[in-house]
Amino acid sequence: MDNFIDQALLKPLESLGHQVLTVLPNVLAMGIILLGGLLTAWALGFFAERLFRMVGFDHLCDRLGMNAALLRGGVKTDPSRLIGRGIYWTVIVLASIAALGALNLTPINQFAQSLLAYVPHLVTAAVILLAGYFLSNFVSRAVLIAAVNAGLPPARLIATCSRWGIQALAGAMALEQLGIAQHIVVVGFGITWGGIVLAGAIAFGLGAADLAKGFLERRLAARSKSNTVDDLHHDDLHHL
Amino acid sequence: MSSNLTPLTAPTEVRIQDIGTAEILVGIPSYNNADTVGHVVRAVSVGLAKHFPGRRAALVNSDGGSSDETPAIVARTAIDFQHLFIADQQSVLHRIVTPYHGIPGKGSAFRTIFEIARRLKTRACAVVDADLRSISPEWIELLLRPIMEEGYDYVAPYYLRHKYDGTITNSLAYPLTRALYGQRIRQPIGGEFGFSGALAAHYLDQHVWESEVARFGIDIWMTTEAIASGARVCQSFLGAKIHNPKDPAADLSAMLMQVMGALFASMEQHEDLWSKQEGSQPVPLFGFPYEVGVEPVHVNVERMVSHYRQGLTDLEPIWRQILTDDTFTHLRDLQGTSGADCRIPDELWVQIVYDAAIAYRKRIMPRDHLLKALTPLYLGRTASFVYATQGLTSTEAEQKIEILCHTFERMKSYLVERWQPLTLQPAAPALLHHTTTDAGGDHG
Repeated sequence: MDNFIDQALLKPLESLGHQVLTVLPNVLAMGIILLGGLLTAWALGFFAERLFRMVGFDHLCDRLGMNAALLRGGVKTDPSRLIGRGIYWTVIVLASIAALGALNLTPINQFAQSLLAYVPHLVTAAVILLAGYFLSNFVSRAVLIAAVNAGLPPARLIATCSRWGIQALAGAMALEQLGIAQHIVVVGFGITWGGIVLAGAIAFGLGAADLAKGFLERRLAARSKSNTVDDLHHDDLHHL
Repeated sequence: MSSNLTPLTAPTEVRIQDIGTAEILVGIPSYNNADTVGHVVRAVSVGLAKHFPGRRAALVNSDGGSSDETPAIVARTAIDFQHLFIADQQSVLHRIVTPYHGIPGKGSAFRTIFEIARRLKTRACAVVDADLRSISPEWIELLLRPIMEEGYDYVAPYYLRHKYDGTITNSLAYPLTRALYGQRIRQPIGGEFGFSGALAAHYLDQHVWESEVARFGIDIWMTTEAIASGARVCQSFLGAKIHNPKDPAADLSAMLMQVMGALFASMEQHEDLWSKQEGSQPVPLFGFPYEVGVEPVHVNVERMVSHYRQGLTDLEPIWRQILTDDTFTHLRDLQGTSGADCRIPDELWVQIVYDAAIAYRKRIMPRDHLLKALTPLYLGRTASFVYATQGLTSTEAEQKIEILCHTFERMKSYLVERWQPLTLQPAAPALLHHTTTDAGGDHG
């Protein structure tokens, strides 16, 4: 019986204790690295932001038109703050990877290494998302203004669709870059555009046949008259 | 002076070498103007023969790739001098028919005309639109004689127009130019101008030919640049202006963008000049003013109000960025009233224009977005003007425009106070060494 207790219960417990004792310093190291990383990230982010603010980085960006560009993209945070937050999160990510490495466990080490190898993809995806965000704001505003000037009643709807369309495209491209849903862009947009075109054709053909006929007649008739122009010019007004 | 030459086609280069020099040059920019260009060429030819006999003269047609027969008509149009009582039938009028390079637009066409004027060492130039139906030979005299004999550098046209004709001129170009630069040039974007060879060379040396100036911005740019360069400026009374629609394909917002863009860009460049200017003075007027009937203009006000109201709703976030809170609040308060009550009073319109100029200066958004977003506001203002002048004669409507001009001048401090000083701005060149003080006092 003693032998059974010794072999079946105590040995595994002893082995577990040994393993825990072996890993415990690493876990402790991981915690310290994480804590240190957090503090360092906060400190570096904070001081970088203060430093950039002190040297007039925001003012410089303003003169270079970067603040206006950020504002155009809907980003209301000033450049110093953006850099501070960027440094903070970079340090956090690096500290997390280092902390995982401190466990010194083969699977976790492999995971940390693969995480490091994944960073370029993450950065690329982030750049794509950012560019998509700016582009969508730019395009949706251009579309909104053009649609209002053309007198189209659903101007806002059209602009919103263009914004979300571009952001969805950017999101899909970012996912593809991250290795998630590799063919989502091709498939997604094939389905979406195919659907839109089909729906539009059916709606226009069935629901607005007379409108389509009238539209084409007006357009073709307009081409034959050199002085017939768009709606805004229907009157005789010479603006210049 | 820059030695950069505007590229010309090989046949044009040869033609210029054949001609050598010309004392006078008249330029006709064109694009699909086969209906009217023959009449314009005849008027120019007769005008030169009648009023400037014995002078070496050239007629330059700068064409934007017309698909009709415009260049061919210019080349072959003949004049029957016998029935026009013109003694000088021997002087040769050299004709140059050439395409232009660069961005398609009136400004690029003018650039080629300026370059040919420079190569021919021209003393006096005039430009007239190819779509004119009311041009007469006297226009050529009125545009060129102040340059040839009175020592002026720039002649702006003075037309009689219907009260609703030239609404960008009436609501924006004239009042703003007058308030900024202190010169009462009634038609700063008229289209027909006279100018000296030196001023043409100055225009060529400016690096503006890739901007709005290359298109419809050219007219306002020529006027402001003439004033800013210290040129002696005058006006000539040309009677009524009747012409075909400018460019049926060009939409209003693009046209407005080009004119406003050129105006605001000039404001940036000549800040030192306009910020110190107070009031305005009349500009000498040549010619014999007379009353003339003008073509009626039919206006669809409801459509304008509809566009304005849609802008007020849909473009609110953009207008909030462009306009100050005070301006936008005032504007928004107009919403909800009936169509006929939807008015943009003078003070509010001036505030809108000044706010837009400041926003343009600060680059708060892409500039073409900003300028195009102003189209519904402009239409709202035009509708307001139409409502306010219904039943009035053109003279009475002119008084309304005069009141608007005074408002622009009175509120100029609003603009000056909010305009950020430029730090890296080169000084405006004092190219033409004249003064503009001979026009008389009368500060408004």
